[in-house]
Amino acid sequence: MKYVNPYQIFIIYSSLFILLIVLGLALSFGSYKVTFIDYLYSDMSKIQESVFTKIRFPRVLLSAFVGASLATSGACLQGLFRNPLADPGLIGVSAGAALGATSFIVLGSSFMQGSITNPYLLPISSIFGSAFVISALFFITKGFGKEGITYLLLAGIAVNAFAGVGIGILTYISTDSELRGLTFWTMGSFGGATISMIAPALFFILISFIWIFRESRKLDILQLGESEAYRLGIDIKKLRFSVIVSSAIIVGISVSLSGMIGFVGLVVPHLSRILGGVNHGFLLPSSALIGAILMVLADLLARTMIKPAELPVGLITSAIGSPFFLWLIFRIRKL
Amino acid sequence: MSIKVNKISYGINNFSILKDISLEIRGGEILSVLGPNGSGKSTLMKVLAGDINPNSGSVVINGTNLNDIEISSLAMVRSMMSQAQNIVYDFDVREIVEMGWIESSVDQPNGHFENILTLISNECGIDHLLKRKYNSLSGGEQRMVHFARTLLQSNGLKENLQKYIFFDEPTANLDIKRELNILNLIRKKAKEGYGIFIVLHDLNLAYNFSDRIVLIKDGKISKMGDPNDVFDDEILSEIYEVPVYFDKDIGRIRYY
Repeated sequence: MKYVNPYQIFIIYSSLFILLIVLGLALSFGSYKVTFIDYLYSDMSKIQESVFTKIRFPRVLLSAFVGASLATSGACLQGLFRNPLADPGLIGVSAGAALGATSFIVLGSSFMQGSITNPYLLPISSIFGSAFVISALFFITKGFGKEGITYLLLAGIAVNAFAGVGIGILTYISTDSELRGLTFWTMGSFGGATISMIAPALFFILISFIWIFRESRKLDILQLGESEAYRLGIDIKKLRFSVIVSSAIIVGISVSLSGMIGFVGLVVPHLSRILGGVNHGFLLPSSALIGAILMVLADLLARTMIKPAELPVGLITSAIGSPFFLWLIFRIRKL
Repeated sequence: MSIKVNKISYGINNFSILKDISLEIRGGEILSVLGPNGSGKSTLMKVLAGDINPNSGSVVINGTNLNDIEISSLAMVRSMMSQAQNIVYDFDVREIVEMGWIESSVDQPNGHFENILTLISNECGIDHLLKRKYNSLSGGEQRMVHFARTLLQSNGLKENLQKYIFFDEPTANLDIKRELNILNLIRKKAKEGYGIFIVLHDLNLAYNFSDRIVLIKDGKISKMGDPNDVFDDEILSEIYEVPVYFDKDIGRIRYY
């Protein structure tokens, strides 16, 4: 028996094809004039080469991965909570990750000199932050049934506020050098990414993707309800653990590398469902691809619209995402 | 090979819901549970399903304690139809039914699954609904979809093992055609050798479709056995607290 139909496979391959084109475009446009074609046929100057391989390439790669991460975690959380409004930003998971990262920047540097530049420690503290929030939300909203859809968002408001307080206090008590690190980090863009900095992060994101994609059938069956899924032979605790940990890893790493970027996790899974269907075997990979496409495009817009300056990419995703969120609320009310 | 329920008691906060319940579910027969609201029928079903652990007593399935059976193996031995759940996303009916198919490591012959799916959806009268969205169906149609999913699960693996199907009020709010359809299919399953455990509300249906009946009140078994022994005016009247008359000749209950 197959869980992904031929039409869905077509959508996935088309998205992959579009992603490649978009990546090519993103590599070819920017404040500095150097294109993908130049790179391939290697008739470029030292500066051009350095801009391309050291600045633009890591940035585009990172934006693709972060887009894929946020969209996939959105799809996973929507599946786990059985709630179409679950988005890592809205329900406070990203804020948890941000609080984790901030605590590390402010408190961690007191324990270890130069730890801010460590490519592992910052993401790891973000992961703990997001894992804590997802688990807490899960137990807070347990057993709310259909009304849980709104309770989850209300809990998210509280979590976001709480994380805001934490970040505020940490900012207040931070020293000058810590504050510099913090400000640098909260500006949250894809700029400044280097291959050595993002390579380990991208590796862990990939591992988590593979891990969670393997659970897609179980996420489908979970939609019947937890007790039904259990009766169909699914170890709910194990599944919950897998989803929480892998979502925490991909959100935590994304937030630690690029700050909080809203609405991608909400919009993209719904777009995927409209395009091809609701089964997770299709939903997870297609969300990853479409999320990557949209994020690369959003970042391309962010850095070319008012060049040589640039817009925060979160501004663009929120501009697209918030009207969509309103539309979604309207639609759910009618259900 | 049977399910043995040994002296089960269950309670929450000093309020006991099930008291010292023992019974046996055997292959090839339909065992129905009857009782007024709040008598503990659904709780008993939950204990049997493994949703909740009894405070004392044990459930032994085919010789193994329920708690010692892996979740995935359990799903191959017993399937269960409970009250319908709300499904948030827009699955096709076909996808919902397919969720009943338990994955196996053993290779199935080509087309085996398709044949079973077609057979079951025809039997349940949902073959014309397979391509529709689940959420666009009526409540009764949705129930038939879950019934089909439960039957599909019971058609899964381990052919050599004694298998069981539990139903929690499968015919609630169904029209009489679907009600009869479901009960006839359940009876067919019993004939094929499945052990059937079913919570029913309707006394007439229980009398006419069961091999054995358990009457439960206040978490205790009041009477268990052949429908003709259990259906006694005095016992039923006492349990339901209204005068009940049973006409043995036509197998009908009257209570108004």
